[in-house]
This record gives sequence, structure tokens and C-alpha cells, in this order.
Amino acid sequence: MHTAEWWLAGAFWSAVTIVFYLISKRIHRRFGLWWTSPLMLAPIFVIILALLLHQSYGSYIGHTHWLVSLLGPATVAFAIPIWERRVLIGRYWPVLVAGVLAGSATAMVSAWLLANFFGLDRSLRLSLLPRSMSTPFAMTVSGDIGGIPELTAVFVVLTGVFGAALGELILALIPLRSVIARGSLFGMGAHGAGVAKATEIGADEGAVAGLVMVLAGVFNVLMAPFVLHLLRTSLR
Amino acid sequence: MFSFQISAKRIVVSLRRNLRQRMSLQLALLLGFWMAGSLLVHLGRLPIPAGIAGMFLVLAMLATGRISLRSLSKGAGLLISEMLLFFVPAVLAVLDHREFLGLLGLKLLAAILVGIFAVMCVTALTADLCFWLMRRGEGYAHS
Repeated sequence: MHTAEWWLAGAFWSAVTIVFYLISKRIHRRFGLWWTSPLMLAPIFVIILALLLHQSYGSYIGHTHWLVSLLGPATVAFAIPIWERRVLIGRYWPVLVAGVLAGSATAMVSAWLLANFFGLDRSLRLSLLPRSMSTPFAMTVSGDIGGIPELTAVFVVLTGVFGAALGELILALIPLRSVIARGSLFGMGAHGAGVAKATEIGADEGAVAGLVMVLAGVFNVLMAPFVLHLLRTSLR
Repeated sequence: MFSFQISAKRIVVSLRRNLRQRMSLQLALLLGFWMAGSLLVHLGRLPIPAGIAGMFLVLAMLATGRISLRSLSKGAGLLISEMLLFFVPAVLAVLDHREFLGLLGLKLLAAILVGIFAVMCVTALTADLCFWLMRRGEGYAHS
């Protein structure tokens, strides 16, 4: 049983998180810069307050984990935009599959090469591998291949935060013809946060991004045993 | 007996009408699908997250016409448009990893940023190339 104090603290930190999120959303609507995104600004506000009040992450997440859990129903909700665009998706599914295959291969190879380049140790390297998937997938794969799931969760979040911003930059740099390409880069490169960003750009882009995120997650979980085998033989 | 049937029918009809208008009912339904997905994953020991199992459940219901788009679309719209909020608490995990504040953090950040850039460019260019090839193929097929 939790004490009344615990419930009070829970209500306080949940309210703080929601209010800062709403404020940063306002600010972002006004300025529209990549660093004013609610995913950048809101955590900075909450972190400052947590540091001032000497709040540890462990008890903060205990109070606000219910918010993170809502990512589950939000994932369920993607059935609706995907269903609404079933004709587009049914017609261009080979494009989606090609994007997911190329993106997943690039994610794994680039994470490995970059970790080598920066001289990161083995556990960091393995934790970095599954970071472009959405959290539940990434943590499963990380544990499977010998990484540290909690560390992977941090990398996944950072990937989402920076990926959503970077994706917008790439859209400005490369002229992409199809909705599929514009949506899939967000779903593949920045999972849930990217999908949210893609939804801001356009409803079609958002639906494609959601589907690509799901496909990438399923594909990578299925591929994990093969990747593990590859790692074992290459490390020997 | 007859009147009982009528009243039962009336309840179902009014529930349906409510479902199309009430946001809270739609959110509750989405939450229910998520829980059903979690049960499915648990019982079937599937290697996928509960949310994705729930999503496939909803897609199956939509495909077989057991549920209408309108009875979920408002709630789904809200959850999707406020999705960034659900990530905010997770970002605070960096509080527990102060070791990332130094050079190691910069290295990791660089690895993540370059990685994202590579993944996004390759994905988008591959998809666009395939899209162009398909379009061209369709063009030839029609002409």
C-alpha cells in the first residue's frame, strides 16, 4: 500500500510533467524551431525542477510511469490511420518493405561501425545496436544480444528526441517525391517520436511512419537471433 | 420477453451512439484493446509488445467489420496527437547516467546522430527509388 504522501507526490510530478508539456507545446507553436519541440523543452524544464527539488529519477519515474505506459494504447491507436490508408499501403507495400530492410541494415551496420570508430566498450556497443527501434522492441533485442536493456532505453529516447529534429532537416535537404519516403524515414529513424513528428507534417506521412515503425520492430525482433549468431562468429 | 429484447437492443444502440460521440468511452476501448493485446502476448509468449498485438486486434476487427472506424477515431486521434507527452518522463533517465555528461556522452551522441542521419537518408532514398521504379513500371504497363 502506498501512503497519502506518495499519492500526493505522484499527482504533483504527473501534473508538473503534463503542464510543462503543454507549455512547451505552446512555445513550439509560436516559434517552430527544432529545439523548441516539446520533446526537447519539456524534459529540460522537468529536469531543472527535479534537480532543484533533489528528486531522483527512480522515484520520479515511479510517479509518472503511467504516462509512459500510455504509449501502449497510443500504439493500438495507430490501427486507425493505417486502416484509413489501406489502399495506399496495399498498393505500395514493396516500397515500405524495401525501406524497412535498407533502414534496418543501415541501423545495425552504422551503429557497429560508429561504436568501433569512437572506441566504445562491448556492453555500450551492444546496447547501442537496437536503438532505432521503439522501446519495448529495443529492450527485448538488447537483452537478447547481450546489451544492457536500461542503457538501450536511454539511447532509444535520445534517438527519438534527436531523430525527430534531424528528420525535419533531412526533409529540407533532400527533395523526396513520395509520401512513403517522407513518412518512412521518420518511422525507421526515430520510432515513436518520429511518428509523432511525421503526423505534424502530414496525416499520410504519420500513418506511413507508424506502420514502418511497427514493421521495423517486428522485423528486428525476428532478426535478433541471426544478428546474435553473426556477432558471436565475428567476435570469436 | 419481447419487451426485454427491445430494451436490450435499445441499450446496445444507445451505447453505440455514445461511443461515436464520447471521447472517454473511446479511450477506454483503446485501453481495453491494449490489455487484450497484453494478455495475448503473455498467453502466446509472442515476441512483440502488447501495443502492437492490440493494434493487430483492432485491424482484424476493422477488417471483419466488427467495429466501425468512427467508434475509435476520436480517441485514437487524441492519443496520437499527444504522443510526445508519453516520452517526456522517459527522457529523465539521463539523470541516472551522469557519466554521459563528459567526453563519453559526446562520443555516444555523435554515434547516435551520425547513425540516425545514415538510417534516415538510406531509408528515404531507398523508398523513393522503389516508388519511382514502381511508378515507371505501372506507366509501362498502362501504355
